Amino acid sequence: MKYSYYPGCSLHTTAKEFDMSTKVVMRELGIELEELQDWSCCGGSVAAGVSHDVGMAMAARNVALAQKQNLDLLASCSGCYNKSARAAKALENETEKQKITAILSDMGISISDSNIRVRNVVDVLANDLDLTSYIQRPLNGLKVACYYGCLLTRPADIAGWDSPIFPMSMDRLAQACGAEVVDFRSKTKCCGGPILVSKQEVAFELTKQLLDEAQSLGADCIVLACPLCATNLELRQPEIEKKYSVSYQLPILYITELIGLALGLKPGKLGLNKHIVSTQSVLAKLGI
Amino acid sequence: MTGKTRKCFFGLKVDRQLDGDKMNRTFVDRVMTEGGEGVAIAACMQCGTCSGGCTNIDRMDLSPRTLVLMVQRGEWDKVLQSQSLWLCTSCYICTSRCPRGVRPSDVIEAVKAIAIRQGIENDSTRFNQIFVELIQKRGILFEPELMQKYGGISAMLEQAELGIKLALKGKMSPFPAKIQDPTTFSQALEKAAQS
Ligand code: SF4
Ligand code: SF4
Repeated sequence: MKYSYYPGCSLHTTAKEFDMSTKVVMRELGIELEELQDWSCCGGSVAAGVSHDVGMAMAARNVALAQKQNLDLLASCSGCYNKSARAAKALENETEKQKITAILSDMGISISDSNIRVRNVVDVLANDLDLTSYIQRPLNGLKVACYYGCLLTRPADIAGWDSPIFPMSMDRLAQACGAEVVDFRSKTKCCGGPILVSKQEVAFELTKQLLDEAQSLGADCIVLACPLCATNLELRQPEIEKKYSVSYQLPILYITELIGLALGLKPGKLGLNKHIVSTQSVLAKLGI
Repeated sequence: MTGKTRKCFFGLKVDRQLDGDKMNRTFVDRVMTEGGEGVAIAACMQCGTCSGGCTNIDRMDLSPRTLVLMVQRGEWDKVLQSQSLWLCTSCYICTSRCPRGVRPSDVIEAVKAIAIRQGIENDSTRFNQIFVELIQKRGILFEPELMQKYGGISAMLEQAELGIKLALKGKMSPFPAKIQDPTTFSQALEKAAQS
């Protein structure tokens, strides 16, 4: 299987480990990735709230490029995935398609009728293959909290491959890796990502609730698939600790890093040394 | 309709009923034009399911349910001045749960865009506009620039420690990335925003 791979802005910067681990894990599993040529930012959760048409066109541009490569588009970042899938769906509507086509043609990009699908890495890993036969190093004894956030599985008519409110695919993946999955009730509660900068206090409160629950469940780490959630949960974790006088030091791993460890890949190759909150405790627990 | 406030059955006030004649098509149409055809405002039955699951309901001045009602009624000022627009995190919980396919999150998204065009100004509108402006500029977002443009030098200093840590881990470049032809890209989007 081969995909056009859309890394998006974060995977080349703050979420480098997500990029690294996606690539090595996919290679190990025999899935080929061809980077989407000349990709641009999807506009995130913000752009369509400034102008619907601008937001849709930003996201649709990448879908059109994937059509050109004639490969299903694969995004690791939940946000890029969600916005691309939304744009692909909008292209099924005549009025939306006309508007988007006009804007893209001003960019010199054309939309074809090639029906490519937009997929997320979690969907592909959980639903297209069976990990069990690839596991080299079962993650026995590791307790993980799987956090899905908002954009990975919502809304159902855009994602639709797992429950929008109580999804299980990452839980199943972590279990296939041999990890123990805790019953994380906040798994689809919002971390406040899109309002992190403009309403920081609110975002911190929302994120703190997630960290509190994961900690109370005794999780060794949180596993996720969204760089924006990771910005809140990991990059801002020290600030949250300071603000509320609490201590978490809770490692935040991308699902592909967790899987990579179970596949027996070297932590350095997966980017585990790139974290701001050290992942050493996870490695120590696994005896790596 | 008589216009008098009389009680209906079960103590429901007449003006709380979902009566079609209170609907204000102008605002509804405007929101639907902005938000696309998927937005089904008229279908709302005021059940409150959206509000029940909303991420930030306890901080909002208008719940998603009320906001949809106010859009139906054409209460421009109430809707455009509402803080709820900027507390909404576009988390899609409301849209996932709504039994009528209203897509409150998309209603709010459309109203946000209208509010910005109407000239509503606050930290959130400023941030959102800078965010889009910077994507338009190069096609790829450069976060340090976003922080600098939004928060000025003080925001840069506040984030300096994290920035240095990221740079040391090879996760932040001092140089922005860009697409092959940012000029055409940004002109096309500029034109789309004007129309
Ligand atoms: S859940 Fe849907 S129908 Fe119920 S109040 Fe909210 S928007 Fe209206
Ligand atoms: S999308 Fe906005 S209104 Fe809807 S549940 Fe989330 S925060 Fe509330």
